[in-house]
Amino acid sequence: MSLIALRDLTKRYPGGVTALDGLTLELEPGIIGLVGANGAGKSTLIKILLGLLPPTSGVATVMDLDVRSQGTTIRQFVGYMPEYDCLPPDTSATDFVTHMARMSGLPKAAARERTAEVLRHVGLYEERYRAIGGYSTGMKQRVKLAQALVHGPRLLLLDEPTNGLDPAGRDEMLALVRRTGTEFGIAVIVASHLLGEIERTCDFLVAIDAGRLLRAAPLGSFTERTGVLAIEVEEGAEALTAALIGHGLQAVADGRTVLLAVAEDAHYDVVRDSIASLGLPLVRLEQRRQSLEDLFRDDLPATAAQAASTGSGLPPGAPSPGGGVS
Amino acid sequence: MSGTPAQPARTPSAGSSGPGGSIYDLGYQAYDGPRLGRRSAVVALLLQTIRACFGIGRGGRAKIAPFVLAALAILPAVLAVGFAALAAQAGPAGGAIGDASPINYASYHGLVGVLIMLFCAAQAPELFGRDQRYGVLPLYFSRVLTRTDYALAKLGGLIAALLAVELSPYIILFVGRVLVAPDPVAGLTDEIGAVPRFLLQGLLVAGLFGGISGLIAAWTPRRAYATAAIIAVFIIPPIIVAIIGDAASEDFARIIVFLSPADIVDGTNAAIFGSIPDSPVVASLGLPGWAYLAAAAVGVIGSIALTIRRYLRIAA
Repeated sequence: MSLIALRDLTKRYPGGVTALDGLTLELEPGIIGLVGANGAGKSTLIKILLGLLPPTSGVATVMDLDVRSQGTTIRQFVGYMPEYDCLPPDTSATDFVTHMARMSGLPKAAARERTAEVLRHVGLYEERYRAIGGYSTGMKQRVKLAQALVHGPRLLLLDEPTNGLDPAGRDEMLALVRRTGTEFGIAVIVASHLLGEIERTCDFLVAIDAGRLLRAAPLGSFTERTGVLAIEVEEGAEALTAALIGHGLQAVADGRTVLLAVAEDAHYDVVRDSIASLGLPLVRLEQRRQSLEDLFRDDLPATAAQAASTGSGLPPGAPSPGGGVS
Repeated sequence: MSGTPAQPARTPSAGSSGPGGSIYDLGYQAYDGPRLGRRSAVVALLLQTIRACFGIGRGGRAKIAPFVLAALAILPAVLAVGFAALAAQAGPAGGAIGDASPINYASYHGLVGVLIMLFCAAQAPELFGRDQRYGVLPLYFSRVLTRTDYALAKLGGLIAALLAVELSPYIILFVGRVLVAPDPVAGLTDEIGAVPRFLLQGLLVAGLFGGISGLIAAWTPRRAYATAAIIAVFIIPPIIVAIIGDAASEDFARIIVFLSPADIVDGTNAAIFGSIPDSPVVASLGLPGWAYLAAAAVGVIGSIALTIRRYLRIAA
């Protein structure tokens, strides 16, 4: 069973803005990152999957159910966390999440029980009886996640779940998302414009730009070819660089740090041996990834050519949609 | 509608305890209990809306307006029954006093009509505006209920709450008059005929006022504006009808009276109870009762249809 299948999915808004442009894609369950700049079409895609927006053309199925004709059944098994504020300030988290559970068709007792469980899971304790209006942004985001989880969905659609959070709050939210996906076996799609977040959270990456698919692949395949090892030494960076280059590796000295392109595991042995034979005081070894943005840039010509050949009908570099439709 | 990838139902709490102690699993678990689907969600929203109309589940301040208005609506009926009881003790002459009471089924609409309008103005903006103001609609529409379900549950809740406020005094009046009558059985046969009449009038008032104020509130997320607009729609048209009827042309007034919800239900009340309309202008126009009944029915259906249309088109 495929989690999500899209065929030539296109969405044009009245006024001529094209938010999705012939998107064809098949996804298996997992924790999936959906990345793209603001306006790339992430939110539009999520809303189409939920049946909140009708597609202009093409086919989209969720858990093999068509979004157009079987929306009600899909929505029974999908949880959605919107990007923007969606919480009434004068209700308590408990009351609100219970209500939302009932709106998903849960019986009253089950709704209460699930609300207590889910709020505990997202880390809301005593404060859950207070009005939401007094919550911090981090707590509100947790309530938003809780309402998406309360009816026990098989698929979670999270639209910018770290919106408005400080770095610590982001880390906590991402850990929570990761834990929810791995421990409970729920498929998760996280939309974000921040690649660093996706990298830490997801197993699979879908990159879209201007409503077209840039790339869809396991996260590992994005990074493995470009693993960079940063070797920080107290002294002797130049000598180490020379030694590594002597072994036929690509290395660059950058102050006290040596950057080394790692293509295979044997290279780590070379590093260890070189440092040992030079007797250098090693400070740290750090796996460094080039930013995913760079990767996309490298992949762009190839995927654009691919998109053209699969019949998106538009040349690469077609005008991108304006703002406000992400 | 439902039933594709459903799993076997299981009581979530079953099997968590056994002899000699209990195992408490406090972690998050996948839910595989019953999913009652769309109908259950609609009923839950309807009941929640009725509760919200009376401020139940909100703070104490939210209860003031609905309960004060409901109490004021009931008060004349309680007084009427009280006087009737006192009059009955005065002997046969008292019965005549009771019959002459100005508070009866036919006159009650004139006593509560304004209160129903104020109830709408106070509660409808909260029911329909809140979810739009705070962006809650996407959470509803991404669940099992449809946009039409949402609109109907909200309108149904408001109309049901109005019906409760509207019918309670009639019921008090009815029960009181039966009990106060010298012979309760004869009293029951005397009074029972009024029941379908006040039920119909109550339904028309609740449906028309609830439908129109729901439609206005659904279009006006800002609370204060919605309240003002609802009051205006009920208060201003009767004034215009009166001015035109008096000064300009009665023929024209006979047409625009159907744009005035307050005058329409005045007309239906007179038609249903066979009395004279409270508004002298409506009385002087001399239109047939069925015209007001038809206008009320069109108004109820039209306002509900337009409210559904609003929610079908609203961005979420």
